[in-house]
This record gives sequence, C-alpha cells and structure tokens, in this order.
Amino acid sequence: LREEARKIQEMLREQAYIADASVATSLYLAMAIGKPLLIEGPAGVGKTEVAKVLAVALDTRLVRLQCYEGLDANTALYEWNYPKQLLHIKLHELAAGRADDSEASIFSESFLLKRPLLEAITCPSRPPVLLIDEVDRSDEEFEAFLLEVLSEFQVTIPEIGPVKATHRPHVVLTSNRSRELSDALRRRCLYLWIDYPSLEREIEIVRARVPRIADTLSAEVTRVIQAVRSMNMVKVPGVAETIDWATALVALNTLQLDREAVEETMGCFLKDEGDLRRLEAEIETGRLEEILNPAS
Amino acid sequence: MNGPATEAGHLTDTLLFCRALRERGLAVTPSEAIDAVRTLNLVGLDDRQEVFFGLRCVLTSRVEDYPVFEELFEDFWGRIARDPQPRKLVEREAVSSAKQQARVSSRERAQKGLAFFLDHWGSDRSDDLEGIKLPGASSNESSAGKDFSMFGADEIEEVSRLARRIAKRLARVPSRRWKPVRRGPRVNLRQTLRRSLKVGGELIDLSFKQRKQKKTRLVVICDVSGSMDIYSRLLLQFAFALQNSFARVESFVFSTSLERITGHLKDKSYGQALDRLSANVRGWSGGTLIGRSISAFNSGWPKLVDKRTIVIILSDGWDTGEPEDLARSLDSLKKRAGRLIWLNPLLGSPAYQPLTRGMQAALPHIDVFAPLHNLASLRRLERHLVL
Repeated sequence: LREEARKIQEMLREQAYIADASVATSLYLAMAIGKPLLIEGPAGVGKTEVAKVLAVALDTRLVRLQCYEGLDANTALYEWNYPKQLLHIKLHELAAGRADDSEASIFSESFLLKRPLLEAITCPSRPPVLLIDEVDRSDEEFEAFLLEVLSEFQVTIPEIGPVKATHRPHVVLTSNRSRELSDALRRRCLYLWIDYPSLEREIEIVRARVPRIADTLSAEVTRVIQAVRSMNMVKVPGVAETIDWATALVALNTLQLDREAVEETMGCFLKDEGDLRRLEAEIETGRLEEILNPAS
Repeated sequence: MNGPATEAGHLTDTLLFCRALRERGLAVTPSEAIDAVRTLNLVGLDDRQEVFFGLRCVLTSRVEDYPVFEELFEDFWGRIARDPQPRKLVEREAVSSAKQQARVSSRERAQKGLAFFLDHWGSDRSDDLEGIKLPGASSNESSAGKDFSMFGADEIEEVSRLARRIAKRLARVPSRRWKPVRRGPRVNLRQTLRRSLKVGGELIDLSFKQRKQKKTRLVVICDVSGSMDIYSRLLLQFAFALQNSFARVESFVFSTSLERITGHLKDKSYGQALDRLSANVRGWSGGTLIGRSISAFNSGWPKLVDKRTIVIILSDGWDTGEPEDLARSLDSLKKRAGRLIWLNPLLGSPAYQPLTRGMQAALPHIDVFAPLHNLASLRRLERHLVL
C-alpha cells in the first residue's frame, strides 16, 4: 500500500515539486481518509504550492479561496447576480406584465454567482482540489462557517434549498499562524508542518525548478541561503527566495558565486534593509568564503 | 506481521498510544483514534518512517505537539515492531500511571515563580491579606494606590471591569464587513431587490448597509520569571478579562523561552484557565532572556503584528541576555506594530531609574514606557491603548 504514497511523491516530482515523505504520506492519507489537510509552516516553504501541484498531478481543477480579513459567507459561497435579476424583471414586465412567477425564476441557479466554496462542491466531473489559502487571515466568524461547510460538504441557499456536494473535494488549508486557529477546525483536519528543507533537499528543489542551473552554482546558492537563515534575519528567506535568486543568477550568466555576485543580487532573497546591512557586515568578516568553502 | 492476533495487538497499542498522547495534552479524541487505526491499515507497517509521518499527521494538530508525539512514538513503535503479541492491559496501566507520577513530580519541581502563584491562587483569593472589603471600596484612592502585591478579591474584580471597558473602546474602529441598517452610506442590493419583488420588481424602497466596527488587536507578552510573579499574575488576569470580552487578544509568557498561552485563557473561568496554565506551561524558571524571547516571537508569529496591533510587554527589564539582541528584536517589532508599550512595575517606585542594561537598550525602541504596579497605573494604561 505504501506505493500509493510513493506514487503521489512521484507525481509531485513530475511537476517539479520535491516533496519529502511527510508531505507525500500526509497527502495520501488526507485523500484516503477524506479529511482536509491543514498545512502550517514559515513563509515561502511551498505550502500553497502543495495544493496547486496536487491539482495538476491529479489532472483536476484547482479552486482557490484566498482568505482575508472581512471575508464573509457571501464572498466565499455565492451571491445573486443583481444586474441580471433587475434586467430580467424589467424584460418580463414588458413582455407579460406579471411579476408573480418572477420570484421563482430570478432566484434560480442561472442567477447565481458561484463563489469558490460552492464552485468546489458542485464541480460536475471529478473532485477538485479546494485550496483555502491563509485561513488564519479570515476572522473567527468565518472560521465557524467554514467548519460547517467542511464537515457536511453541503450548503443551504435559502431560495433554492440544500446543495449537496457532487464529489467531495480534496481540501488543503494553509495557515501562517497569524492567529491561533480554533481547536474545532484543527480537529477536523489532518495536520502537517512544513519546515525549511535540508541542504540536500533544497539543492534538489533548486535543480528541479531551475533546470538550467549548473551543479556547483545550485549548491553554492543553497548553502548561502541556509547560512542566511541562521543569521537571525527579520525576513527569513524561504525556498521561494532561493528559487528566485537562482533564476536571477542564471539569467545573469553567473557560473560561480563570489562576493561581487552576492552583493549585486542579494536583493533577490533579502527584503529588509536591516537584513541587507547585516549580511554585508557578515560578508565583511569573511563569512561568505567560509560558507562557500566549508572544507577550508 | 499479519494475522488477527497481531491486528488486535496493534489496536490496543494504538489506543494506548492515543491515550498517552491525550494525557500529555494533545487533542486526541476517539475520532482521531479511529483515524489512527485506519491509518495503520493504509500505510506499510514495516516502514517506520511512513507509520511515523502517517500517525503524526492524524494525531497532532499543531507543531507544538510534534516533540511529545516524537517522544511517545518511540515507545509505541518499539511495541508494534518488536513484539507482535498482544500484551496484557494491566501491564501497561502500570506504565501509564508511572508516567503520570513522573509528570506530577516534574510539575512540583517547576513550582517556582508564577507557577507557584497559579497553584496557590484559588486559596489566596479567600484569605485576603487586608481582610474582606465592601464592594466598591476598591475604587477609592487608597486602594487605587495600593501595590498589587497587596491585592484582594474585589480589586481583582476591578481589574476585570477595567479590562472590559478598554475592550469596548478598542472595538470602535470600522471593519470591512457590512451590516444592514435603516439609513446608511451604501445601498444593500440584495435586500433591496428582495423587497422590490413585493411590488413587482419596482425599486421603491432602498435598503442600506454600513461597515461594522473593526477591532484593534492586542498582543500581551508577559515576563513570568521569578522577580515578576505578582505583577504577571495581574497582567494575566487583565489579559484573560480582555480576551473574554474582546476576541483579538493574543497572550504569551516568557522567562528564558517564549510560550503562547492564548488557547489556555480562552472560554473558561479564570480559575479553570489558571489550572490549565499551570498544567501546560513549561519552564517557569529564574533566568530571563527578553531579547531571545522577543525574537522568538518575531520569527514564530510574524503575521500576528501589524499596524493595527498594540503590543504590550510586561517586564522589569532584568535581562541575562545580550542587550544588542534585545535592541534588535524590539526594533524589528516596533517597525511592524502600531504601538509598542513597555510596562515596568519597578517604575512605580520613585527611586527607580531604568539603568539596567536591558532597559537601557530597550528604551529607544518603545512608544510608551509606563509603570504597572497598582490600579491607578492600570487606569492610565487605558489612555495608551488607542491607535
């Protein structure tokens, strides 16, 4: 049975997502048990990417609900198409002059604007991947609402009645821990913490995402980034930054890292002025040479 | 490792594992236990890594659970891998009760500083140092000036009242959500259309909506090292009261390391919250590493702080870490926070000068430096809690 988890790992790898065993096993179990998967971890380790790549790998649709403060049920679930409703009423008036039957017709499905959650549970062909991104940014009221949808996979639209999921979507939630999620929501989900990858894995990721990169350069880039992560920066560079930097270096035809190359391009992975200065100071003390030549 | 006998053995082992996790504070309900058993049927039982990752994603619900899980998993794996025979339940009962005892004794060991107060808080409340006062007496000047170290039950009540008042004030900022109103700045299309149907789709009466109120967020970071216990007890009471009348409060405590206690303070009576705190919070100890704790906060919960966040740090500034670390971590916190308030109980004494190295390093980075040692100072705090 273990092959299934491995197969997921392979499928993700084909999409240039290097997943370690914990990610693959969690995804496999989430699908097998049919529970949502809650992913937490520092910024830029590819939490959102998991869902995106999963959708491509399963050859299915990705429905994304980006959470933000003030997100409410209307924006997440459905809204009526008011201009269309108005137009319909007016046209109807001109034609027949009776409004009695219009209530039923303007509150029917053709006047419904599906928002991500409704979209995901009414997907006609096959179960989509539903990505609920940065769920910690929504507020607690919305979380309660979400809980209801995730446990029943059924929503009620007062004018139409209950709408039940045609297929249960594969649900992935991500959180940056800007606020503590409720225990109820956590309990409803399987849990996965994604940390910064190990050196070997990160080199592998860089090579997969930036195929044109030379072997030595990919190793150097990753070593520098991993060292920077331990420097107590305000904005710790994630894997996304490693990839950005590697891409930039390849575009500049850099073959090997040296002090000049790092100083010219360090804006790719450090996004805070104080951090830039801290790295400059470290380079000043000869730290870069230490990182690039760990043997000597 | 097949056959019904082994299966049964795994079932008991799994359930005992779940119980052990629950005893150590993980939220493992029967539903998780069922999922755990299902997981074992879904993964390769001979692959340690896969069993580990599989059970971990089912049985934990936050990254803080990982170390406990890892620790107990060793034990569990040892049983299912080495010994496929189901063992007698009794044997394991003994194991788990021994474990419980170990827990208790480690708790006793940790009973210093705030933990001591937490444990003795309930009894404290009834035998008040000053004798029992009439309600309302706490608002008079003498008690307002009284140091918190001399506090009784009715003053504690006053603290809660003050917290509720501040919460109400903080709640008065417009949010992005809408609510229907009789007259307002925007037309509520949904309701308008719905009402228009009564008169054949003619838009006669408009419905309106306006923005709801937005709440400011509050982060309370409380020093619970030995020298601070009386005052941190008070600030925790304050944080508890705030949190229960106002949703956006996050609470942390630190001595040498930082711990988030928001969850422990939620939806309970203060007594229950304290019980839970003293049972769950590790490492109340003598030393204080303010700088390291603040930078742990910065890197662990970066998105908790934005321009609408007021951060309150309560500490006497006796730092055993490097002042540069403190300055740097406060600087980065200050840049993101709406307001950074440092409350120092020692500031209440007229002879005090903020001369400790930690306090010296901190001063340039904070917006408000105020005492917190009595009710009057808590009332004055109200003035600073606006953005």
